[in-house]
Amino acid sequence: MVSDSTINASIPNVSKDFGKKKRANRSAKLKQCKLDARREQWLSQVKNKNCKEEVNVPVVGGGKFNGPAIVTWKKAAQCCKVLEVDNPGVEEISHHFSDSESSPSNSPTNALVGASDANQGHNSNSNLSPGRETAEGLNFEGQLPICENVDAQLEKSKSVGVGILGRGSENCKAWRPDDAFRPQSLPNLAKQHSFPTGAERLQGFGNPWVRNNMTPRVPTSCPICCEDLDLTDSSFLPCPCGFHLCLFCHKRILEEDSRCPGCRKEYASEPVEKEASVSGGSLTIRLARSCSMSSSRV
Amino acid sequence: MMNTGSSSGGRTLWASTTSGSGKRIQKELKELDCPPLSSAGPIAYSINHWLATFLGSPGTPYEGGIFFLDILFPNEYPFKPPKVMFKTRIYHCNVDSSGNVYLDILKDGWSPALTISQVLLAVRSIFLTPDPYNALVPSIAHLYQVDRKRHDELAAEWTHRFAK
Repeated sequence: MVSDSTINASIPNVSKDFGKKKRANRSAKLKQCKLDARREQWLSQVKNKNCKEEVNVPVVGGGKFNGPAIVTWKKAAQCCKVLEVDNPGVEEISHHFSDSESSPSNSPTNALVGASDANQGHNSNSNLSPGRETAEGLNFEGQLPICENVDAQLEKSKSVGVGILGRGSENCKAWRPDDAFRPQSLPNLAKQHSFPTGAERLQGFGNPWVRNNMTPRVPTSCPICCEDLDLTDSSFLPCPCGFHLCLFCHKRILEEDSRCPGCRKEYASEPVEKEASVSGGSLTIRLARSCSMSSSRV
Repeated sequence: MMNTGSSSGGRTLWASTTSGSGKRIQKELKELDCPPLSSAGPIAYSINHWLATFLGSPGTPYEGGIFFLDILFPNEYPFKPPKVMFKTRIYHCNVDSSGNVYLDILKDGWSPALTISQVLLAVRSIFLTPDPYNALVPSIAHLYQVDRKRHDELAAEWTHRFAK
């Protein structure tokens, strides 16, 4: 319920800022977007069948870490409460749910989730004790899978969240217009604002976490002549220091002072074998290539 | 300020940019990262001829002076180092009277992987800390080591005479 107020507060603020800057027709357009977005949000909160989707979105969106995780829990709890209205038996689900939530876990997310436990308690702890054991025993064909689904996905989002800790820090506020947790049925605002992050994600190398594990990174162009490196060039590694350059520049350097531009050591007369002794077996394909290159060159 | 270089006009030697170094120099210009209190850029007609400007750092005898340097990229660049010349006279043990500057990375220490930004940084560093052990003008180096105060006075005087 706390998150609801933040949703409703944040969207008008953002569009108000825009409205000041833009012309009248532009602001009218934005107003329409705002109204649409708001209506969609209300619909998604009220509808029962949206419950599962609400929970699914964060996992699909890649799991921002801090605030959004808490919001997810609250939203899930809300959904379960909505279910209670329709089906009295579902009460146990929310018990089961809050039980699993407050149980100790070794994930660091739990500390953050723990902050929201107090609020959660207001929602569902009042009639907690008698139903807890029956939650496992009873078999709700329709609803229990949802809960298991929730648990499984929360586990998943925890593990994702740990990995993403580094890059998710910039937007840790809940339900901002550029938040990936927003339901994907809000294209107008969401797409406008989240485009850069989306493009970054699409690049493949955009994830700094992955990039840090790649050592050394192969440049796309020769650092000496600035021409693009083709496949042969980028797999050509004449010096154990890992300095990449194109074959033309390498040949030219061999003709002159024959020192590696990266480390200033002389290129070994047989760079291939040097590389083999240093780098080991994982570079066999590369070795074969530079073998053929050097034999054709020499 | 870049285009006020006195020697830019009649220099036809560097007028053509047909060498293979053009792309590299273009890229360096695009990604140029000048050290503080300095700037650099090509003079008209040729991208192989740059002018760099250094302001004397506060706290040094060169404070208040404006020093111009010519940077000439040979056609073999980056396999050969750029030529850096002081156009403004300076009292400095690593700069001789005709403006040649001693820098290791512009001679034997050159590597094709070095960029002009790094060269500018090296020039900046000799402004701050002269290197008397690799001096082009031994008398200034000697004075720098023996009588630092007198050296600084002379350097400040030269700065006032030639670089303001």
